[in-house]
Amino acid sequence: MKNEGEASEQPDNTAFTQQQLPAWQPILSAGIVIPGFLIIGLAFLGIGIGLFLTSQTIQVLEMDYTGVEKDSPCFQCTIQSVQNCTCEVTFSLSALFTGPVFFYYGLSNYFQNFRKYGVSKDYYQLTGDTQYFKSPRDVCFPYSHDSKNNPIVPCGAIANSMFNDTFELYQIINGTKKKVPLDGKGISWWTDFNIKYRNPSSVNGSFASAFDGTVKPINWPKAAYELDLTDPNNNGFLNQDFLVWMRRAALPQFRKLYRRITEGDYAGGLPAGNYSLTVHYNYPVLSFDGRKKLVFSNVSWMGGKNDFLGIAYLVVGSLCVVMSVVMLIVYAKFKFSDDDDA
Amino acid sequence: MSLIFLKLLGATAIEDKLQEGVPETIACLTLANIKIWVLTGDKLETAMNIGYSCNMLRDDMNEVFIISGHTMVEVRQELRMAKERIMGPGKDKFSSGLDMEKTELYSSDSVFEETIIAEYALIINGHSLAHALEADLEQILVDVACLCKTVICCRVTPLQKALVVELIKRHKRAVTLAIGDGANDVSMIKTAHIGVGISGQEGMQAVLASDYSFAQFRYLQRLLLVHGRWSYHRMCNFLCYFFYKNFAFTLVHFWYGFLCGFSAQTVYDQWFITLFNIVYTSLPVLAMGLFDQDVNEQYSLRYPNLYRPGQLNQLFNKRKFFTCTLQGVCTSFILFFIPYGAFMSAVRDDGAHISDQQAFAVTIATSLVIVVSAQIGLDTNYWTAVNHFFIWGSLAVYFAILFAMHSDGIFTIFPNQFPFIGTARNSLNQKIVWLVILLTTVVCIMPMVAVRFIKADLYPTHTDKVRLLQQASRRQGPQEQNFRRVRRTSSRRSAYAFAHQQGYGELITSGKNMKVPTASTSTYPLSSPARGNSVVKNSVVSGTTDAAETNSTGFRRESDQNQEVTVEDLEAR
Repeated sequence: MKNEGEASEQPDNTAFTQQQLPAWQPILSAGIVIPGFLIIGLAFLGIGIGLFLTSQTIQVLEMDYTGVEKDSPCFQCTIQSVQNCTCEVTFSLSALFTGPVFFYYGLSNYFQNFRKYGVSKDYYQLTGDTQYFKSPRDVCFPYSHDSKNNPIVPCGAIANSMFNDTFELYQIINGTKKKVPLDGKGISWWTDFNIKYRNPSSVNGSFASAFDGTVKPINWPKAAYELDLTDPNNNGFLNQDFLVWMRRAALPQFRKLYRRITEGDYAGGLPAGNYSLTVHYNYPVLSFDGRKKLVFSNVSWMGGKNDFLGIAYLVVGSLCVVMSVVMLIVYAKFKFSDDDDA
Repeated sequence: MSLIFLKLLGATAIEDKLQEGVPETIACLTLANIKIWVLTGDKLETAMNIGYSCNMLRDDMNEVFIISGHTMVEVRQELRMAKERIMGPGKDKFSSGLDMEKTELYSSDSVFEETIIAEYALIINGHSLAHALEADLEQILVDVACLCKTVICCRVTPLQKALVVELIKRHKRAVTLAIGDGANDVSMIKTAHIGVGISGQEGMQAVLASDYSFAQFRYLQRLLLVHGRWSYHRMCNFLCYFFYKNFAFTLVHFWYGFLCGFSAQTVYDQWFITLFNIVYTSLPVLAMGLFDQDVNEQYSLRYPNLYRPGQLNQLFNKRKFFTCTLQGVCTSFILFFIPYGAFMSAVRDDGAHISDQQAFAVTIATSLVIVVSAQIGLDTNYWTAVNHFFIWGSLAVYFAILFAMHSDGIFTIFPNQFPFIGTARNSLNQKIVWLVILLTTVVCIMPMVAVRFIKADLYPTHTDKVRLLQQASRRQGPQEQNFRRVRRTSSRRSAYAFAHQQGYGELITSGKNMKVPTASTSTYPLSSPARGNSVVKNSVVSGTTDAAETNSTGFRRESDQNQEVTVEDLEAR
């Protein structure tokens, strides 16, 4: 054979080019798989028990106040023509509801995850870029201009549909109502509050003037700069309720944090007794068969009450243990039958 | 008469050795269930001696059929007789040879022939082959040839070589490989599915026309049993994994559709969708496709029957495709519904919202990347440093890019493009999110581990057994290699051939060499004079200019050899 041409065409004799790199070659052997399954099964059983027990210790109180049935307290507010309706929901607690107590409103059959709804907002407006105040983005249509063609700030369907029921909680002690202080600070994500949403800078010392030439969203009772006149840090786009609403929910049933109960006499929780909740019913959901709820809950290291995860871990853990036993039997039978044959 | 006053000056001889390793290679490939046929331009005796010297023909073979009829009728007669001798006088079947007594069970449209316990060989001469390749005889030729252990065609023209390859391609669902070293092998190399050229003393025409080329015939063993097998294994694993990964990724949106009003809302971040297939999951599977070895080199060569799964199409067929697609669908189901169940009423540990679109997206995306990385980890049999780097690196890059895209800095530059700001920080610091990810990963991966383990235990394939052997031998340390020795039958025959038959002098001087010898080949495309040179090489000389070339075919080392370089002519057997 030719020798001259070959040497130049010979491939390199390195481990890489000769495919002889040192390598780990694992095989799924019984010594790894069966103990592995057993360990994972036991670990999951442990985690599952922990989750389940923790979940059992969390107290949740849920009340539907939509007013669908005639005998529910908010039924009269469901009539369309009534404005500024107020209704009162009463409930009683048999034991101390340990604090800090979180007060959520929940909506169901409400598709905040609908795609066209979800893209209908203008990020530039919400970071305080006044250039976009006068000309909102097209995705906000049909909530970008009102009937007189004035630009809407903040534009879009998400902002427009902001939840506007308000609540006041009273404990009934000896027939008198004692107001329970509700704390609305810091209920949204700190990154939303500090970075994602920024107010436009004041013009001539007045915050409202920054919104000149624009109108409020169609369904809002007040404009954005009037959301909280008592606290400039909670006004405009930085309003906590607004931020909570703008964080779109992933599923058609969701809860959003409304207030926390952490102050005063109720720092340790809501003591047993009777309570009355005054609802300023503004938000219509019956037209699309939605439901509104109130939820009181306390939280733990795993968040709110969630039986699903605890049960799922228990199920998977026990399945893993069962599988490891089955595999051990199969392996032993196969091994011994193999030895018998040999 | 004039010969008596001549003085003998000397004698010349040309020795053309077989390359080294040829008989071992042929034996090895036969064990791998590869049928080997020899198509050579040499004459009958030379070809037979080549066959004996490389162990394809053996003394203990039951019968060697030689087909050398000159007319269609004779050839038909000889072929029929051969077939009857093989199949037994009682069984007079004229079928396509598939419903014979089988020693191994194959399906009726299997490629592989029934192994007849007795061994037969078929040697067919070029002029007979010209008749046998006609439409009415080709079926019986294929039947007889496939019943024989060895087929040697001698005195074949280059075009006939190509026609024989095409015959097999048409009649059998087999993959054909043609290997040769000369310019006359080019048509055969191009016709076969895989063409291999041996670069050497014949020049580079075969190499230029081939798909693969190397310098020695024995490298064919490595090409097929090592590199070919690895390539098939890698390709099939790669395909399966790709279908699985993409179905798992995409069908989450199908399940989500039921819950988002079928509005085509994506579960994931737009950037994740863009980068998933390019950045997060491309390199590990590339590393697996490049480096994976199920069985290492020495064991691949030692156990040629590891080649069978490739021949039987076992690693990727409709059933396997359906299985890995189904696995992808189930994974997407688990990937969606476990976070769904957890997030229905979940909140952060400080009470704030977590079941929002963005945190949901991050949870599912993270679970997905971890699950598919774990799956590629399970699929990889051969973990080189590169594999480690790519797999762990891809996971690290995922988290790096995730936090980068959800960071403050990039949001201030492009607020519209990166709306997920703060999501990674606020969701991935929650224990419940990690518990969801852990549960999802385990539920997706564990069934696969269990199934593979049980299957390898109860129904181990050849590959599994060899891998166990390999692991055991590695643990015991380097040992003496017991190579399976190829049993070379010591033969009375030597490796030399001596032309004792009457030569072609009479044929040349008779002037018959200028025309096509037999009437039947005139219908052949072979017979057009334009092809002159290669056409009639097998039997006659085509022109005086070529006289020297073809006249010496009987004596010169033939460039028309197909499978091996042979030792030629010189000694009596």
